[in-house]
Amino acid sequence: MIDSQIPTQTALIILLLFGAGWIVFGWWLGRRNKTLEDYMLAGRNVGLALASATAMATWITSNTTLVAPQLTYQFGIWGMIGYSMAALGLIFFAPMAQRIKMLMPSGYTCGDFIRLRFGRTAWHVFLVVSFFYAMGWLVSLGMAGGILLEALSGLNYHLGMTAILVICVSYTLLGGLRAVIATDYIQTLIILFGVLFIGYVCWRDVGLTTIYQNVSTEQPQLLNLLFPAAIMFLFNNIFFGIGEIFHSNVWWSRAFAFRKGLGKRAYLLAGLLWLPIPIVTGFIALAGSSLNIYPPSPDMIGPLVAAKLLGEIGAVFVFIVVFSALASSLDSLLAATGDLLTEDVYRGLLRPASDKQHLFKVSKLVVLGLGLTTWLLCLPRLTTLGELLNFTGAFVASTIWPIVFGLYRRRLTGTFAALAMGLGTLSGLFGYFQIGFYVAALTSCLISLLICVIGLWLQDAQFDWARLQNAKETR
Amino acid sequence: MISLTLFEIFITGALLVTCLSPLLLIGLLIRDWKKGDLW
Repeated sequence: MIDSQIPTQTALIILLLFGAGWIVFGWWLGRRNKTLEDYMLAGRNVGLALASATAMATWITSNTTLVAPQLTYQFGIWGMIGYSMAALGLIFFAPMAQRIKMLMPSGYTCGDFIRLRFGRTAWHVFLVVSFFYAMGWLVSLGMAGGILLEALSGLNYHLGMTAILVICVSYTLLGGLRAVIATDYIQTLIILFGVLFIGYVCWRDVGLTTIYQNVSTEQPQLLNLLFPAAIMFLFNNIFFGIGEIFHSNVWWSRAFAFRKGLGKRAYLLAGLLWLPIPIVTGFIALAGSSLNIYPPSPDMIGPLVAAKLLGEIGAVFVFIVVFSALASSLDSLLAATGDLLTEDVYRGLLRPASDKQHLFKVSKLVVLGLGLTTWLLCLPRLTTLGELLNFTGAFVASTIWPIVFGLYRRRLTGTFAALAMGLGTLSGLFGYFQIGFYVAALTSCLISLLICVIGLWLQDAQFDWARLQNAKETR
Repeated sequence: MISLTLFEIFITGALLVTCLSPLLLIGLLIRDWKKGDLW
């Protein structure tokens, strides 16, 4: 155990107290859930404060608190700017959220849109892409839970990962999206105050001048504005972030859940408030060399710097912040992926005749099953968080243009949408393995765009937007 | 290489903007609560 770690017993007590708190709160909120719409979409009437906070909290993941410092440690200034550019996903999604709610007032999932707009072939390709990403993100979050506890308290990786998954699955299961959104609000405040406090202590105790001088002596490339791999990473991360948000049911389910007319403002506000957070967390990592911290694995740099700066009491504080960041994303992803599995796979592919009450029960079992699957996949700690996250970039970036053109242009057909997603993903994977992770999303997005443009040029389909209005009835 | 001044402006600016976020979210929650617009 290093000096700045908290005792394992203390970590377990915090985990138990917070875990019990979230679960009881989730159960209390879940008592109001009487229908499938209550459980999956929080009644479709969420106000601006909760809407903005949930979008923001979900996007502040363990990756913002663990991978942003890791990337800053590897790519310097461009690493933190590149990560903060993921806010563009939220900002660009703002007008789309408004249009989604307008086009599909009774929609449940992004799968509903793809199926109705592009047909079953494109829907199947989309589901593969979407589930691969969702599982990648879930596993990345589960692993982050284990890594966090190990870094801050010396607790066994498997025990920490299991505890965090059990807590998040429990309150999501009991309270549905209503519990996810309400806990997200509180978690957002904890994260913001925590990040600010650690950033302030770093600024006060180490100092910007000291950090700058140490980095420029020991790792000058981190302050270099012409660091080629880092610039590629910047653009890659922009497309990756946009792809993650545009295609994922996490964000679509919120667009359906927010009150009519609120989606645009909520996502715009969330994006603007999210933008500086990776810069603050990344800045903390730059203090590593000034504090003589050289982590065994780069994804531990953030927690180790913070724990060293703040001591034992501070480490407790850090633990709560990162746990909140993990929970705020894990719960959202569990709920949204559960919706997609219930609506698109169970109802769409297996039991089309299922009524809403039956689906209400199935959706809870699905969340439970999803939690169990994630736990199994997290058992072997296969790769670093950044690598796992960026691997999924090839998949998600291929969906950007089919979704954008699908929402705004009548001409794009299902064939070209499916080709754009399929070939975009393959080219992104080729880039990932042949060049590096920092070009996967970029390549995938460009190939997908090319295919969509060819599709728009070659075909003149006139899609009827009215077909999207009754998402539940049309199968 | 980024200059020290630019580095200071960049980091301090990010810290200041992050300060505004919780205040804004709390303000919005109070407003929604008073209007009965939370859910």
